[in-house]
Amino acid sequence: MRKLLAVWLGKALTIAGKLIGKKSSSSPGEYAMKICPDIVKGLNKHIKKGIIVTCGTNGKTTTNNLLCSALEAKGYKVLCNRLGANMLNGIATTIIQASDIFGRFSADYACLEVDEAYTPIIFDHFKPDVMVITNLFRDQLDRYGEIDITTSIIKRAIAKAPNLKIILNGDDPLCVQFGKEKNVTPYYYGISEKVLPQLDDTKEGRFCPVCGEEQKYRFYHYSQLGDFYCPHCGFKRPKIDFEVKNVVLQPKMKFTINGQPMEINYKGFYNIYNLVAVYGAMTALGESTGDFAALLTGYKPQIGRMQEFDLGKPVILSLSKNPAGFNQAIATVNTDKRLKDVIIAINDKANDGRDVSWLWDVDFDKIADENMNTLTTTGIRVWDISLRFKYAGINPDHMTSSMHEAVERCLGTGSEVVYVLVNYTALYPTEAVLNDFQKKTGRDKQ
Amino acid sequence: MKIKILHLYPDLLNLYGDKGNIECMRMRLEWRGIDAEVVKYTCEDTGFDLSDIDIVFVGGGSDREQKIVCHRLLEHKKELRDYVEAGGALAAVCGGYQLLGKYYKLEDETIEGLDILDIYTEQGKKRLIGNIVLKSEFIDQPIVGFENHGGRTYIGKHMPLGKVLYGYGNDEKSGAEGVIYKNVIATYLHGPLFPKNPELCDYLLSAALKRKYPSFTKLAPLDDELENTANKYITERFKVSE
Repeated sequence: MRKLLAVWLGKALTIAGKLIGKKSSSSPGEYAMKICPDIVKGLNKHIKKGIIVTCGTNGKTTTNNLLCSALEAKGYKVLCNRLGANMLNGIATTIIQASDIFGRFSADYACLEVDEAYTPIIFDHFKPDVMVITNLFRDQLDRYGEIDITTSIIKRAIAKAPNLKIILNGDDPLCVQFGKEKNVTPYYYGISEKVLPQLDDTKEGRFCPVCGEEQKYRFYHYSQLGDFYCPHCGFKRPKIDFEVKNVVLQPKMKFTINGQPMEINYKGFYNIYNLVAVYGAMTALGESTGDFAALLTGYKPQIGRMQEFDLGKPVILSLSKNPAGFNQAIATVNTDKRLKDVIIAINDKANDGRDVSWLWDVDFDKIADENMNTLTTTGIRVWDISLRFKYAGINPDHMTSSMHEAVERCLGTGSEVVYVLVNYTALYPTEAVLNDFQKKTGRDKQ
Repeated sequence: MKIKILHLYPDLLNLYGDKGNIECMRMRLEWRGIDAEVVKYTCEDTGFDLSDIDIVFVGGGSDREQKIVCHRLLEHKKELRDYVEAGGALAAVCGGYQLLGKYYKLEDETIEGLDILDIYTEQGKKRLIGNIVLKSEFIDQPIVGFENHGGRTYIGKHMPLGKVLYGYGNDEKSGAEGVIYKNVIATYLHGPLFPKNPELCDYLLSAALKRKYPSFTKLAPLDDELENTANKYITERFKVSE
């Protein structure tokens, strides 16, 4: 009975949230769990075929949603926290919203993105069958302390889930170490050839997670991802089960997974990892992957994943949350040779991480290439990001507290395209600004 | 004039954008027409020679990385101590600050420090994380930054870098933050400390220039409007009053 009341409350809050224009991706669950703390417990009973949990620093929302799309394309009913609300309250909200008014629900699969820090708590509520770990980068340091702490948290969670199949990024030494935990069956994916220029960017996992000595690389992709080995203890990139080769980035991304050709409509090298992770998870679930490329056609990227708006000229919105993400976004912007205006917005709310020190770990200066027309800085920490540029010898053309003003000015320049790079809490307000402009542009056209 | 800056083990101690401090020192020298050379010692280097170094910078690392560094630095304890005692300029942040002390006592082991400062650190229960504002006797501008440390550092008779106006500081309780000793600045304010604290950066640069060029008097002023705005934003946001 408590559970039913909780579901009703959660549903009522979702409807109330919609009326006032909120997304309500985790607050209904938060209140419902106060009435019935066991909403998420027993999830295994409602899921017929399997629960897949995806965590890792970057790419978890995309990977989780791609997996959900691929399973839905096979005709399965899938429970999924699509909006990326990845703590216990978010999962409770997802369950409430999927339940009928009698509090009942069932699905074939559950695809759940889970915040790394919450894995041990969440694994007390249900036992996943498959776990995907995309990568571990420096992220929101002030929340987790340090990357070593994140590693031990994930190990504690893994210990709570017997017979776990674990899909790991075999190019990431920090991920590979989880394959050595007891009671897991590891599968590894990786990109088995040199693709990108060998830059010297952030490499937080450069030291062997087993013995602490410095690792070597035969080649690497970005951050600490690559063909690594430790000359001291022999820890090395494992045998790769799902292997990407023959990568072409432009004009359309193409590659093969275990020889099977893929052609993908999204931008960004890092998306190859997200796709091959999904391929690996499908295989571990016993699902066929012969039609993998076709399964992905129904996938719509979440907002802010190189999302294009038509405001008379293209305006492309990109969300990044940490140095590795920003460096990848900047690399993607640099592949566009059109004349560009660039806007960068940096906030420091709790979901962004209060500490903005990481701005100095990003190669922001690389965005000022010969194709950049103007640079605008904005966001709560506009002064910090502006100083970051000043000490790289680049003076922002405009510094403003208003995203509206920033976009408006760029629409009036002679540029061919505008890139807007934002961190997490700047995403939704920026999307709202761009949608407003887009509606206005649409009206003007009529 | 020329200043040579040594960045110690940037391959290990680089947890929080420490390179902001190196870039800040370099640019603030170059903007004044003073040459700046930055050299690095990484774990692959075997030599250790401070004879022509004007500023040493030690950044922060995870506990694991700090252990590796400490092991290497202990071999050069004497050179570093002599350098500091002779008035060499040194900035150490976060993990680098802890390393300058006698020891850092963790839950299950004790890391021996360089014993350059008569201080020690013990691991506390919770991490002290957040924005922080200090008032130092040595400069007019409040010092602003971000701290994130599990250790509590006890500085004994040393002079703190500043009084905590907002945040935790050395040990959460004493209201003191960091240490200033001879030409050493040691602090928990990690990562890009200098860009938002131009007066503090210039304080260290001046100390190094005075030591190297006895006829040097003072640094030429720079246009610090952006730096000062960034600094003021933090003090006003946290409603700091002295």
